[in-house]
Amino acid sequence: MSDEEHHFESKADAGASKTYPQQAGTIRKNGYIVIKGRPCKVVEVSTSKTGKHGHAKCHFVGIDIFTGKKLEDIVPSSHNCDVPHVNRVEYQLIDISEDGFVSLLTENGSTKDDTRLPTDEALQAQIKSGYDEGKDILLTVMSAMGEEQICAVKEIGGKN
Amino acid sequence: MQGFPGGAPDPQQLQATMLAIEQACSLIQLHMNPSEAEMVITSLRSSLMPYQACRFILETSQMPNARFQAAGAIGDAAVREWGILTDDNKRSLIIYCLNYVMEHASSPDGYVQSKVSAVAARLLKRGWVEFSDQEKAAIFFEVEQSIRGIHGPNRQFAAINFLETLVSEFSPSTASAMSLPKEFHKQCEYSLEVQFLKDFYCWAQAAVFNTADKILNSTVTIPDERACSAALRLMFQILSWNFKHTVEHESSDAKINSGLRIDTINLKKFERSLVKPGSMWREILISSGHPTWVLNFYTTLRQKYSYDTLWGDSPIAVSCRQLIVQLCSLAGSVFPNDNGDAQIKHLMLILSAVVLWIEPPDVIAASIRNGGSESEFIDGCHALLSMASLTTGSLFDNLLKSIRPYGTVNLLSALTSEAVKSVLNNQSEEETWGIDSLDILLETWNVILGDVDADKSPISVDGALAASSLFKIIVESHLKAAADSAFEDADDTEYFHVSVSKRDEQLALYALIARAAADTTIPFLAQLFSERFARLNQRNGESDPTQTLEELYWLLLVTSHVLTDSGEGETLLIPEALQAGFPNVIEAAQHPVVTLSWSIIIFSRQCLDPGIRAKYFSPRLMEAVIWFLARWVATYLVPLDVSRGKVSREIDSVGTNGPQHSRKLLNSFAWENNQGELVLDFVVLISMLALTIYQGETELQTLTCQKLLATVVRRKHTCTYLVQLDSWRDLTRAFASGRSLLSLSGRLQRSLAETLACAASCIKDPEASAQYLRDLMGPVAGCLVENASRSDLKSVAQQGDVVYMVCCLLERLRGAARATQPRTQKVLFEMGRTVMNPLLTLLEVYKNHSSVVYMILKFVVDFVDGQAVFLDAKETSALVNFCLRLLQIYSSHNIGKVMLSLSSSLRSESQAEKYKDLRALLRLLTNICSKDLVGFLSDCDGEGSPDIAEVIYVGLDIVTPLISLDLLKYPKLSRDYFVLMSHLLEVYPEKVAHLNRDAFTRIIGSLDFGLRNQDSDVVERCLAAVNALASYHFKERLGGRGGLNSQLMESEGSNGKLQESISSHFLRLLLQILLFEDFRLELAGYAADALLPLLFCEQELYQRLVHELLEKQQNPTVKSRLATAFHNLTSSNNLSSSLDRPNRQRFRKNLLSFLADVSGFMQIK
Repeated sequence: MSDEEHHFESKADAGASKTYPQQAGTIRKNGYIVIKGRPCKVVEVSTSKTGKHGHAKCHFVGIDIFTGKKLEDIVPSSHNCDVPHVNRVEYQLIDISEDGFVSLLTENGSTKDDTRLPTDEALQAQIKSGYDEGKDILLTVMSAMGEEQICAVKEIGGKN
Repeated sequence: MQGFPGGAPDPQQLQATMLAIEQACSLIQLHMNPSEAEMVITSLRSSLMPYQACRFILETSQMPNARFQAAGAIGDAAVREWGILTDDNKRSLIIYCLNYVMEHASSPDGYVQSKVSAVAARLLKRGWVEFSDQEKAAIFFEVEQSIRGIHGPNRQFAAINFLETLVSEFSPSTASAMSLPKEFHKQCEYSLEVQFLKDFYCWAQAAVFNTADKILNSTVTIPDERACSAALRLMFQILSWNFKHTVEHESSDAKINSGLRIDTINLKKFERSLVKPGSMWREILISSGHPTWVLNFYTTLRQKYSYDTLWGDSPIAVSCRQLIVQLCSLAGSVFPNDNGDAQIKHLMLILSAVVLWIEPPDVIAASIRNGGSESEFIDGCHALLSMASLTTGSLFDNLLKSIRPYGTVNLLSALTSEAVKSVLNNQSEEETWGIDSLDILLETWNVILGDVDADKSPISVDGALAASSLFKIIVESHLKAAADSAFEDADDTEYFHVSVSKRDEQLALYALIARAAADTTIPFLAQLFSERFARLNQRNGESDPTQTLEELYWLLLVTSHVLTDSGEGETLLIPEALQAGFPNVIEAAQHPVVTLSWSIIIFSRQCLDPGIRAKYFSPRLMEAVIWFLARWVATYLVPLDVSRGKVSREIDSVGTNGPQHSRKLLNSFAWENNQGELVLDFVVLISMLALTIYQGETELQTLTCQKLLATVVRRKHTCTYLVQLDSWRDLTRAFASGRSLLSLSGRLQRSLAETLACAASCIKDPEASAQYLRDLMGPVAGCLVENASRSDLKSVAQQGDVVYMVCCLLERLRGAARATQPRTQKVLFEMGRTVMNPLLTLLEVYKNHSSVVYMILKFVVDFVDGQAVFLDAKETSALVNFCLRLLQIYSSHNIGKVMLSLSSSLRSESQAEKYKDLRALLRLLTNICSKDLVGFLSDCDGEGSPDIAEVIYVGLDIVTPLISLDLLKYPKLSRDYFVLMSHLLEVYPEKVAHLNRDAFTRIIGSLDFGLRNQDSDVVERCLAAVNALASYHFKERLGGRGGLNSQLMESEGSNGKLQESISSHFLRLLLQILLFEDFRLELAGYAADALLPLLFCEQELYQRLVHELLEKQQNPTVKSRLATAFHNLTSSNNLSSSLDRPNRQRFRKNLLSFLADVSGFMQIK
């Protein structure tokens, strides 16, 4: 019996494509989807039919993972939807500059300086206060479709 | 007033209180600052002796709301302070309330008066046991005088209203809380039923008699009418009483022969029950001709007001009809022991009056459609239902025959068809009478046809005809409705699933009617099917088949219900009505059930042809086909040995024809000539189709996986055939190594894997069975292993399609793990073992992908659940080590992590994800625990087997820091958490002594939190845990050991922070909760169990605390009562200082009476 078909098909350099196709019927709540060109997290899926004997359609409500805006879409459930590649990488925080950018340490030892602090003041404060207290802080940066944003913060070796 | 509680009033203060309350009330009405306003009102309720102030408000305030609140405050305060009121106080409060109601009987704002009378009723009940009979009699004498109408109709109404509230206060289901034990309520209930209820009824009866003349002669005033309908309502309410203290006749054979039912039917659905007041009531209810009088009264009024279409909804008509329907349910020894004659006469009498409300059905239905009142119609249906529940089918049918040329079943049939028509013709939201009456009528059919003794009294020929014609009308109306609605959009929302179960319930009842006349209805269904099949075949793709498809959809549903029972989880039998219904059929080919079944299956088979499938097998039609097949296969592919055994026995006793022969035909036709195997083959083929061709049709695929495939696999006799089929092999091969099934959604992947793996246990040869599983799951596990070990994993892993693939594989593994059975456990464990390390790698790689992490956790949970009980020491240790590493990795990724997000909904999503993860982790620990329970039973070989308790404490220690107090607000999570923790503390208290400081503090901290939880289950678990800890501590100290002394607790003492042992910590806490916080009385027993060992451990501290408490009390009465209560708590009932069961029981009793004593004045801080 052959299992060759089960290999992951992506190549290591497949970062070139920002999305991949997935059948609408298999996208579940909490999954990701592209709606109107924006990467979204699915918060609600319902299905309906055109006429009782038609084919099923999926109705998605998504929330833009970067802006928090709500978006909706209807797709026949057998069709493919674009699903964004959503990537999260952890970096250690080195510095916060005055213009709102952070300096991050990557795994291979170089720095990454093009990431902004979140715009929301409360979130900013959370990161800054930790930094000011001299704690070692890990930031998680989420990226999808060419955008990126800080999405989580954690102290190294920290407790609650 | 003499004896009115509270000191001499200070007028200014009274005025001020009134103003404050009035202001608060008006603020609440305007919705301004409601919480503060409520505080003001609550403070009145909970203040000491507020009676004078309340009285002042009741008498002087112009604002009805304020008076309402004042009345409520009297009730609350008096019940609370009952212990410190004098006898005079109590009586005068009740009499004051009653007098107030009487004096203000004619004032507007009736709700204030009702509240005051409810307070009077509540207080009267509170003092019921202590008041002497004379005192009660004096109170009721006044009430009776008023009911007789001596003081005019307004007072009459007020008095009747008071009795109404009194009766509802005394019946346990509507009683208000008094923080007294259940026995008290029972005692009151008993006493009222035996001593007063009949008198109340007579008074009400007299009140109706007195006003009846005035009403019939049109000289009636509005207050008169109000009093009369209140009296009728009271009579209805008394008859709704749950009579318990009566002696019933022995149910004799004579009664059975009379046609009255002896089985009790549960009519809970419509809140009706049998009324069995017992022989004491015979005189006033039966012999005196009371029912006749009520019926005549109603009928006369009805004629008088026949010009007024709305009269049927007037209060007097409504309450009178309610009374009549209730009289209809009379049963038991209230009737003389005369073989049921009196009861049958009684029923016929009522029916002759009720029939006017519902006959002729079509005319009445038309008048309702034109705006008439539907209440008579619905109440008439209720009366029929009551009668049906008291009689056998044939007696029910005969009831009407004395006054009509047809039986009651005919009438029922006509009524039901009107109801069906009205439901289907106007589906507007507002008109619900059709649906309401249809519900009642179908339930009536259910009662008649579902009679357990149906064999003895089969439905009459007339009745069968009526059922048959009713079923035709039902089917035709529904087909028309189906055709009309075929083009509407179908929405599948949550609401949809609710309506599906409602629809199934209705269809099952239709099916019952159809089976009552199976010899005509089954051929009728067959004919309808063949017409529609022909219509589809004649089309040549031009006209739109949608309407026919929708008709077929409905027909398939109803036919499934007629041919099969739903019986979730039971072994299905062919419905008895169908087995017995065709005694004259000799050959299978002529049996209507057989021909109908084959015609549907042959039609369905056409979906295998791609051309035909594209033309008219829509997803929705396929759903119905799959559903039909699942039910049909489960019912008609009868296990061979069963059918053979039955057949051979019966063939011996009877010949080749007659009723037994047709039974045999029905039980065996499905397997004959290899048909059974062919059907099973078709089942596999159609499942494959549904899963691959109908892409994205989740509903259809769910039915296929979870209903059809699950059904055939779960039954051993079908499964053994199934696994030998080529088509089954194709399906498993496609699953194991093809791509076509990867497009299913995750949940379906899981249930498909579970079903396919389940089939392994039906392969007889163990080696073949193991091989089957290896072939099925090997590639799945192998793929996961291989990919987790890829060198470039880190870079490809985050790509969406890879994530999707990993999820699919995990879902499949989880499905297989859930299918673990003794025979397949070994193979599945090996599979699990190969993926252990890869899973840890994946957990590392996907730490930011919550969905993957969750799936890994869920797989491990199910895997441990399935495997734990089977494993030997070595395997257990491998599994447990794996689980601990999993926990550590999970914890290291998540501890101290804060999700940042702009959108609050995304933030709450991530919170919810965390919650789900944690629940899974707790589940995992609980599952590991179960291993230890089994370990107790089997003999411990000891060698190398890990100490489960140790493991779980470590696990809990890893998990607990992740659980924040916020997360514990999720009820399910907190319940899981506390169940696990209390289990640990109860079973292994000795381990607590060795915990490190942090872990110990966390555990005690969560117990503190749990003891104050809202959820009484959680509090119960925590009390049990405290009990376990304290008992352990006590026993250890008795034995001269240290117990838990090494563990000290920091707690808030009266003078700042102090270090103390956990027993004193919990003693302090428990006393605080019991005395000053809102403690639920139902938990008193558990609290007593926890408190007792604490008392033994910390005698000194206890004495000191009690002393402090007593010193703090200002009020000398309260102080002395409290002191006595504390004294009784520890010294009454011969309490000794041991923890054995009798002693614990004694302490439970002591604590309960202690709480009842002190709760009144302590819990109002």
